[in-house]
Amino acid sequence: MDRTKQNDIIRHARAMADRASFVADDFARALFPRTAVVFNDRMRSNAQQYLHGMVNKIEQRLCEIATRDLGVGHDMLRSIGQGGDGQSFALLESSGLLNQTEIVQHLFVKTQQMELAARLLQKISQEDLESTLTRHLDHEDPPVAQAAMGLLVAQSKSVGSAGEVAVSLADLPPEIVYAITWPVTAALARLSTSPGSRLQQAAERLLVEHDESAGLARKAERLAQLLEQGETEKNPVPHPMKDGLSLFVARLARQSGLSSDQIVTFTAEPNMARFIVVLRATDYPVQDALSIYAALDSGDNILTAASYGELDRDRSVDLVTRWAAPEAYQNAERILSRDYLNEAGK
Amino acid sequence: MSTARKLAEPVLGQVDADGLLMSADPLLMRLHLRCGGKEGGPLAVPELAALCRLSRRLGMNLSRPVQASDDECRIEMWVETRLASPEKNMPLILAIIDWKEYSHDEGNKVDPARDRDFDRLEGRGAIRTDAALRIIAQQMPGNVARNFEAIGQSLLDIYDVIPPSAHAKLLEAVAERQPIRNQRVRQKSGAQALFLLQGQPLIDKTGLFAGYRFIATPDDLTDDPATGGADPKVTSGKLISDSLFGMQLGPALRQPLGKIIANAETISGKLEGPLRGDYASYAKDIASAGRHLLDLVNDLSDLEAIERPEFTVAGDDIDLVDLAHRAAGLLAVKAADHQIRLELPDKQQKNPARGEFRRSLQILVNLIGNAIRYSPDGSVIKLAVSADQGFARISVSDQGDGIATEDQERIFEKFERLGRSGDGGSGLGLFISRRLARAMGGSLAVESAAGEGSTFTLSLPERGKP
Repeated sequence: MDRTKQNDIIRHARAMADRASFVADDFARALFPRTAVVFNDRMRSNAQQYLHGMVNKIEQRLCEIATRDLGVGHDMLRSIGQGGDGQSFALLESSGLLNQTEIVQHLFVKTQQMELAARLLQKISQEDLESTLTRHLDHEDPPVAQAAMGLLVAQSKSVGSAGEVAVSLADLPPEIVYAITWPVTAALARLSTSPGSRLQQAAERLLVEHDESAGLARKAERLAQLLEQGETEKNPVPHPMKDGLSLFVARLARQSGLSSDQIVTFTAEPNMARFIVVLRATDYPVQDALSIYAALDSGDNILTAASYGELDRDRSVDLVTRWAAPEAYQNAERILSRDYLNEAGK
Repeated sequence: MSTARKLAEPVLGQVDADGLLMSADPLLMRLHLRCGGKEGGPLAVPELAALCRLSRRLGMNLSRPVQASDDECRIEMWVETRLASPEKNMPLILAIIDWKEYSHDEGNKVDPARDRDFDRLEGRGAIRTDAALRIIAQQMPGNVARNFEAIGQSLLDIYDVIPPSAHAKLLEAVAERQPIRNQRVRQKSGAQALFLLQGQPLIDKTGLFAGYRFIATPDDLTDDPATGGADPKVTSGKLISDSLFGMQLGPALRQPLGKIIANAETISGKLEGPLRGDYASYAKDIASAGRHLLDLVNDLSDLEAIERPEFTVAGDDIDLVDLAHRAAGLLAVKAADHQIRLELPDKQQKNPARGEFRRSLQILVNLIGNAIRYSPDGSVIKLAVSADQGFARISVSDQGDGIATEDQERIFEKFERLGRSGDGGSGLGLFISRRLARAMGGSLAVESAAGEGSTFTLSLPERGKP
C-alpha cells in the first residue's frame, strides 16, 4: 500500500471515529421519523445538488467581488471567482454549519417544488407550461402585464437544462443568502488565509447587491397580488396547468393567508390532506379542486367529489386560520398542549 | 369599497438607523400619523418598521407584500427597501410601489343602528325575541313605557295573531326556523294597534337558532271585522291619519310603489343577469320616479295627519347632537354621491331637548336632504348646535345659491317650489317640518341671502341637562 493511500485511510478512520457517536442518531431518525412525509431518493439527491449549487454560486460571487472589485490577490479566490471549482462546501458540510433549520426548510420546499414540477410535466409540456403566463401579457391593467413579463423573465432564468438542478442566486430568499454567505466567507478566509476583513467587505457588498424583487418567488407573489386585487370574474380559479406552478402557489397562498412555502409543504404530506383543506377553505369549486389535485398528485391517490364535498367549510377555514398564525405561536401552542406538561404542572 | 391608487411614482420614505422616519411622501406620512406616529419620530406602522429592521439586520434589499391598517382602512402594499450602501448607519429608503385601500366597513356589513334609525324614521318598530319567542327587546312607535313592559313576555301574550293566519301557522313557521312574512298582529292591550310583522330567524355563532328579529309596520288597512273598521282609539297614537288618504289611498299606493321600486332596482342593478345598458338605465329612471312618488305619498299622508285637529306629538327626551349624527348617517350615501362633506358637532357635546324622536329626526333629514339637493357638488354642509332662552337649537348651513329675502317665508308654504321642478322635491317638506316643529313647541326658521347659502334652524324646548 503506497503512503498516500495509507494517509487517506488514516484520515477517514479519524473522521469516522469523530462522528461515530452520531450513527445511532442518524439511524434513529431513519427508523423513527417524526413526520409522515416520505423523502425518496430523488428528493435526497436533488436536495444535495441544490445545496451544493447554492454554496457554489455564493462562493463564486463572493470571490468575484473580492478579487475583481476589492483587489484581493489570491490565486484560489481568483480561480473560484472565474468559475473554477468551489472549495468551501466540503468544509461547511462536515462542520454542520449548513444544517440550519432555515436552510434545510428551504431545501425541502425547493425539492418538493421540483417534484411537483416533474409531476406537472407528465401532464403538460414544458412549452405549454411556459406559455401559460403569456396570457397575462396583454392584460388591460398595465401593472399586471408588467408583473407577468417580470415573472416570465425570472422563470426563464431559473430553468436549467434537462436533468440539471438549476440554482439562480437571484431566486434565493434573502434570509438563505444571508445564512449561507457568512459561513462561506469564514470558510474561504480559513482556506485561503486571506485577510478576513476584505472577505467580510465582499460579503457585505454581495448582500446589499442582492435584489429580492428580481427573484422568481416575489415576482410570482406580486403578480398574484395584482391579479387577486382585480375583478374576480376576469381571473378564474387558479390552476397549476393554467397559471404555472409558481403563480398557482402564490395565488392560493394569497387567497388562504398562508405562505407559499406552507402550500408547497402541504403537497408533500400524505394524501395532501392539508392541501385539500386549504382548497376547501378558500371555497374552490369541486371540479377545480379535483382537477388541481390530479395535476399535483403523484398518481397514487384519488380525491372524489363526495369526499371533497363532505369537508365542512367552516372547520376548514378554522384550521387554515390556525395554520396561518405565526410559526412561533403554533409551536408554543403545540408544546403547551402536550399532556406531559399538564402532568408536570400538577 | 376598495380604492386602488395607481401609483405613477413609488411612495418614498427614509428611515434612519434608529428606525426614525426622517422623511416621507404624503401618503406614507398620513399612514404614519394615523398609526400614532409623529413627524421625525419612530416609524409607527408596525409592518413597515419590521420590514426595515429585517432589511437592516440582513444588510439586504427586500421586496415584499405588506398589509397595514389604520382606523379607516386596511392597506395592501408592495414595499421595497433600499440600502444605499453596506454602511450600517446610512438611511434606508422605503419605496412603496403598490397601494390599495380597503374600507373596514366594506362588504355586506350593515350598521344595525343605522337600520334601526331608518325603521324609526318610517314609523316601523322592531321586536327581538329569543328562541322561545319571548321578547328580549322591543322598540315600537308610540308608548315607550309599553316597550319596556313587554320585555320577558311571550310575543303571543302581547300580540294577537290576526286571520287569515293563526297561532298554529305562526308556530309552525317558528318551529321550522322559516322567515315570517306579512303576519298581521294586534296589540292585546293599550291602543290595540295593528302591525304587519316580517321576521327573520337569527342564528348565533355556534350555528344554533337564537330567536327572531321582527320588523313591525303599522297596518293601516284596518278592515278587521272584529273592530268593525276604523276606531278612533286604534288610530289615535298612529302616524297616519284615519282620513281618506292616510287610511286608504296611502297604504294602497305604498305597496305597489314599493314593488315597482324594488323590481326596477333589481333590473337596473342587473342582479338577475346581464342586460342591455339602455334598458338598465330605463329601469333606474323607473326606480327614481317610483321613489319620488313614494316620497310624495308619504308627504301627503303626513300632511293629512298634521292638519287633523287631534294631531299630537310625543314628548321624548332627545339630544339634538345625537339626532344630527343619526340624520347624517341616514344621508351619508346621498352626500357621498355628490362629494358633499357633512360637518357635524362633536359627539361628546350634548344639546338636550324635548320633542318626538321620530318627528325631530324627520325634520333634520328633510333639512339635510334639501341642503344636499341644492348645494354644489364638493361643498360642505355644516350642522351646529346651540341653546338659549329655553330653547335647544340645531342649524343646518349649506353653501348653495341661497334664498332671496322675499322668498324666505314662501318656502314654508304648501307646494311652494320657488319655480323649481324635476329635482325630486314635492314642495311639502318644509311646510310639514315647520308644522311638526311648532307642534313640538318649537320653531323652524331660515336665514339666507341670495348667493350666500342658507341656514335653517330648528328650535325645540330645552330639557334640563342631566
